[in-house]
Amino acid sequence: MSAGGSEGTADRTADPAAEEKGQASQAGPSLPAVELPRKRKGVVEEKSDTHVQQSIDFQMEDELSRSEAEDQQVKMKCFREPHRQIEKRRRDKMNNLIDELSAMIPACQPMARKLDKLTVLRKAVQHLKALKAGTSGAFSDTTYKPSILPHDDLRHLLLRAADSFLLVVSCDRAKILFISESVSKILNFSRLELTGQSLFDFIHPKDINKVKEQLSSSELFPRQRLIDAATGAQVPADTPVRVSHLSTGARRSFFCRMKHSRVTGKHEDKRSLPSTSKKKDTYRYCTLHCTGYMRSWPSSQLDSEGDAEKEPSNLTCLVMVCRLHPHVSHHPSKDINVKPTEFVTRCAIDGKFIYVDQQATTVIGFLPQEVLGTSCYEYFHQDDLQHLAEKHRQVLRNKEKIETQCYKFKTKYGSYVSLQSQWFSFTNPWTKEVEFIVSLNRVISRGPGHTKDEEEAGGSKALQEDIKQIPVIPGLSSGLGPMIYAGSIGTQIANELIDSYRMNSSPSSGSSSPFGTAQEKCPLVSPKTSRSASSREDTAGSSSQSQSDSKTTAGGAASGSTGEPSQLDLDNMVVPGLSSFSNDEAAMAVIMSLLETDVNMGQSGDFEDLHWPF
Amino acid sequence: MTADKEKRRAISREAARRRRRVESDVFGDLSQLLPLQPSVRANLDKPSVIRLTLSYIRMHTLLKGSAGLKAQTSHTVRYGQVLEGGEERQMHDGGRDKEEKGTEEVEVSEETNMYLRIMEGFLMVLSTEGDMIYLSDNVSKYMGLTQAELMGHNIFEFTHPCDHEEIRNNLRLTAEQVWSGAKRDFVMRIKSALTHRGRSANLKSATWKVLHCQGRAKVCVTPSSVSCLLLTCQPLPLSHTLLSTHTFTSQHSMDMRFTYCDQRVTLLLGYSPQELLGRSIYDLCHTLDIKCLTKNHLNLCLKSQSVSGQYRMLVRGGGYVWVESHSAVIPSVKPSKSRPGAHQPLCILCVTYVLSGVEEPSLQLSLDQTLNRYLS
Repeated sequence: MSAGGSEGTADRTADPAAEEKGQASQAGPSLPAVELPRKRKGVVEEKSDTHVQQSIDFQMEDELSRSEAEDQQVKMKCFREPHRQIEKRRRDKMNNLIDELSAMIPACQPMARKLDKLTVLRKAVQHLKALKAGTSGAFSDTTYKPSILPHDDLRHLLLRAADSFLLVVSCDRAKILFISESVSKILNFSRLELTGQSLFDFIHPKDINKVKEQLSSSELFPRQRLIDAATGAQVPADTPVRVSHLSTGARRSFFCRMKHSRVTGKHEDKRSLPSTSKKKDTYRYCTLHCTGYMRSWPSSQLDSEGDAEKEPSNLTCLVMVCRLHPHVSHHPSKDINVKPTEFVTRCAIDGKFIYVDQQATTVIGFLPQEVLGTSCYEYFHQDDLQHLAEKHRQVLRNKEKIETQCYKFKTKYGSYVSLQSQWFSFTNPWTKEVEFIVSLNRVISRGPGHTKDEEEAGGSKALQEDIKQIPVIPGLSSGLGPMIYAGSIGTQIANELIDSYRMNSSPSSGSSSPFGTAQEKCPLVSPKTSRSASSREDTAGSSSQSQSDSKTTAGGAASGSTGEPSQLDLDNMVVPGLSSFSNDEAAMAVIMSLLETDVNMGQSGDFEDLHWPF
Repeated sequence: MTADKEKRRAISREAARRRRRVESDVFGDLSQLLPLQPSVRANLDKPSVIRLTLSYIRMHTLLKGSAGLKAQTSHTVRYGQVLEGGEERQMHDGGRDKEEKGTEEVEVSEETNMYLRIMEGFLMVLSTEGDMIYLSDNVSKYMGLTQAELMGHNIFEFTHPCDHEEIRNNLRLTAEQVWSGAKRDFVMRIKSALTHRGRSANLKSATWKVLHCQGRAKVCVTPSSVSCLLLTCQPLPLSHTLLSTHTFTSQHSMDMRFTYCDQRVTLLLGYSPQELLGRSIYDLCHTLDIKCLTKNHLNLCLKSQSVSGQYRMLVRGGGYVWVESHSAVIPSVKPSKSRPGAHQPLCILCVTYVLSGVEEPSLQLSLDQTLNRYLS
């Protein structure tokens, strides 16, 4: 089909709709084909005026109700308005093309201001002339079909794209009649070595039968079957295909394995090749997809053999392209940005996991249920404990997100995975206490961390100063020492927070706490916390469990009710015998002491801040 | 007053006409410089001239760097000697008279034409933005539109919107990939303006054609050229010529369970067709190839045709063979007067080529294999 009857020189108004589709448009005025009810454009030969007439007729139908004068006006307006748009589109398109062209032409590059259309076009003409002069005059010879690309280049591109070579073999003895140069890139044999050899010397022994089959010419082997995918039925080939040397014969498509030499470069002596080489392992095989067709020529045309006594039989050949079959793995290209693995966890304020995203399993190896209830500190690498503890404290006191540095998290198998997390705390708006910490954990893909099998936090390793010896927590066996120890860091921090709450408000038993057990244990633990906290202050460490060391929190609160228990002088804290309380009396006592504290601080406003859970 | 206005209008009209003439002349010059057939040249409109010029310049920049990589001249001498056969005959007679360069051109052009014809596809050079910088001229056989009409346009205008994502992914190239000539292999649907009878029709009545695109990234030596992909695009054939031993056909329901398998599978894989019925192909293949099969399956569901690439099918008693399947979805066929017979539902037809012999015959890769080996 011709590309449309447009005259090259006249200022044609091309139909942009058709243009967009890549066809040079039909002759005729541009019509608002888009706006009008679409008339199906069949074959190109429509007369331009009838087209116009028909479109206007369409318009007319729509405007029937109007008056005569309006009719005229409306007609023109409806005709012109979309026409304007089309014109604009066409102009924009042309301008874009001109811009692209000026970008491609070196001569147009350094110009400060945009060049006008005509100049760009003229420069393009000059550029093309220069290019043509530079090439080897490939286009000067017009005896054969000119093409946009010189054939040499095309061939080069084809070979590059397709990793293939052309092969012509005779069907009777599988002699390689022709093989293209590109075979050297694929099989590492030179053309010379292969031409004239028997193809079977190069085929994998197990494929020899297959190839023999394929070479059998169609006349002798009418048992080819065609599968017509439109119906799925097998269509028997009714008559053997009559082949003349100009028409294509039966198609062949098959896979076979061919030898390829490991040694690159040309082999000097042809004869030392496959036939003599006994060692099969010198060669590797690569899979090739061979497609082609049979052709036969009357052999009297062959003159290279120079054998005049050759019988006038047909020489049938298989002409095919053998393409290296790539083993392209079907996974998305690495360029596709895959989000790094992230998973979410929630911890109680003491660091115990209360929710673990299922995705975490792919990272840490544990199933969610295996870690729920355990403290996150048990999994942190000891080098990271200090900084994470610090962050833990921070997040409990801040409203915004806290970013941790990279740290190592112990996986189920003992190895460590590098994570980086964002933590933020959730505060209950009613109780104004932190309920839990949400952690968004991101896997940082680095080399595997050093594999520390055991948590030797409690071991002989030097620890940071503010992490102290294991306070013995009643009820828990000492065998779990190291783990409990690590876990207790979180508990400590949590308790600091809780203590700070108590300072600010009544120990509201009704205040929600994410987990019931901790609430119960809180009063129990806090004296110990304060003890261990106090021992934190002096490195000597104190393991005194006696309640005499308990101090009221109130006293401690005096020095820092801002909620920085780490700076509390906990030595001054007095907790009235909480460990032995079992009734409300002690609770009352605590309340009273707190009230006293607040009064002591003299902040009258505190009473409003007190949260009375009613 | 009006006369004055009239005169002014007339002058401006003249000026405009002159400008247009000059412009057309320049366009004419430009189109003359493009290596096109005269018939094609006559039919070009202005945007097309620019489009083709752009393509020409881009291709030139692209190939400039590879000037040294072109085929050596040494082969041309042998070329004439080694070649036999009718088609090259004319070169024998004519070739010796022409200069060597001319001969080389003709021979090369013959070779490339042969390539393209045998390969049953066309060459496409795609920029990373999706512009079809170059298309070999036989593209008209497959798309119904000529090289001049298509070159320079963007591929996204011609391909199925659902495939755009995949095409974009394939066009993504890092510098490293370009230098190492990274390979690409994918299936996409492109518009074809060919009618059933093979005649070109209007693009509005275009149908979708499934193309298998394979190729690699092109190294660009000059800094100004954009990196691009060289692809050969072959339509997936809907009919296959089979020869006996190393292929078998099978039919599957849309979930890839066997609904039919031909007898040859027994020789190749050991299963009888009956025992395959109802079994899913995913059961019968090597676990590591599941991804490959999934991609194939997806292509089938979305694009109706697919080439699987190499994967392994498990042999009945142990071991596996490497195979490749070419499949297509067959629309459901209701029995009618012209085509009586059973109703054929929507199904998948596979032609499987066996590439290798049985590898590792004693290796047990599935429970099924163990059962077959020891219990039957």
